[in-house]
Amino acid sequence: MELIDREDHQKLYFQLYEILKKKIESNEWVVGSQIPTEDELCKMFSVSRATVRTAVLELVRQGFLKRQQGKGTFIYKNYVSEGLTMLTNFRELLFEEGLNFTTNVLARTVMMPIDGLDVKLDIPKDRHIIYIKRLRSIDNEPVLLQETYIPYHICPLLLEEDIEHQSLFELFEKKYGIKITRVKNFIEISPLHPDEKQLVNLPESSQAILLNQYFYSGDTLVMYTRSIKRTDRFKFLMELERKAT
Amino acid sequence: MSDSKVVKDVMTGIFEYPHVPYWFSISQAIRIVKVSFLSTKKYPDPMAVLVFDEKYNLMGTLTLKDILRGLEPQFLKPSAKAQVAEEDESSLSLLWDTLFSKGSRDLAEKPVSEIMSPAKYFVEPGDPLTKAAYLMLHHDLVLLPVLENKKKFIGLVRMIEVFDEISNALLKE
Repeated sequence: MELIDREDHQKLYFQLYEILKKKIESNEWVVGSQIPTEDELCKMFSVSRATVRTAVLELVRQGFLKRQQGKGTFIYKNYVSEGLTMLTNFRELLFEEGLNFTTNVLARTVMMPIDGLDVKLDIPKDRHIIYIKRLRSIDNEPVLLQETYIPYHICPLLLEEDIEHQSLFELFEKKYGIKITRVKNFIEISPLHPDEKQLVNLPESSQAILLNQYFYSGDTLVMYTRSIKRTDRFKFLMELERKAT
Repeated sequence: MSDSKVVKDVMTGIFEYPHVPYWFSISQAIRIVKVSFLSTKKYPDPMAVLVFDEKYNLMGTLTLKDILRGLEPQFLKPSAKAQVAEEDESSLSLLWDTLFSKGSRDLAEKPVSEIMSPAKYFVEPGDPLTKAAYLMLHHDLVLLPVLENKKKFIGLVRMIEVFDEISNALLKE
């Protein structure tokens, strides 16, 4: 069994993530089966509960694992759609351009990373992050709710910028020289929190499109955005090209 | 105390303390206290969390005492025996049971804005330290925010620095 290499400078959770991912991809752990409990994984790899939790959370986020309340964590699928390269223009993907949005900044403040945001942003739990919440409307009708999380040290001056009339993407690239080189997107249809439904004018029973985006500059994760869109106001066009193998 | 000492000479940076928006729950604030202070064995004096509004204006501070008070409303009630040194074991037992009851778990879901100490008093970086000391002593403050041009929150004065300055001046004389 592959074990954690403590001489390796990579973070322990990342090593564990890679080991577990291999087990899933190689079918050593079969789709539908339950993975060992946190305690068992701690013993198997001689790591702390926090390390196990972080690695498992990342695999859940990537779609390899699924947690079932009160039952455990199960193998959901053994592949992700690798090999497909997004050709969509970044700006189109950000929904910040091309449409005549009006933007209402509901919040721009600083907070600590809670509820797994430290894992999502790949930062220590005691680092400050900038939190931005914006409501986008077309013809006074709210259609898009965006929550953005940025490690504070990446761009502290963002707190003083006009983000009602400027896109974060442009500020990053043009003003602060932070070139966005890669965006990871996770799209799902999701039930919403009642407050969110109210903000985007959705009835109680309806669902919305949830887009989770991870923005990288080189290898550094610089921003995570969670966008909620009404399903009736958007059509997605994504052109994908398979990478040469 | 030296007359020339001003607030900016002793103030602490705001990022020494965790930040939370006012809508965070008490339980979220507790987790932040544990991660930022207890698990890293950093014990600043005071141990506190800064509470901000949605426009990143300081609304208040949250100390460990504020948190415990928020979890146990009985702490708010003045006790006639508060100054009595001897321990009443039956009360302690009752307290323990109350703190860890479902009621306290429900209280922990309240927003921090309901239990924080509101920020009402401020100083400017150029203000004399004596002004900070006066405000802190007379209003029983453990942290005093420093605002630049009455607007931008740039630092904090802590009681430990005020004490240090006053005691230094006293011992010199």
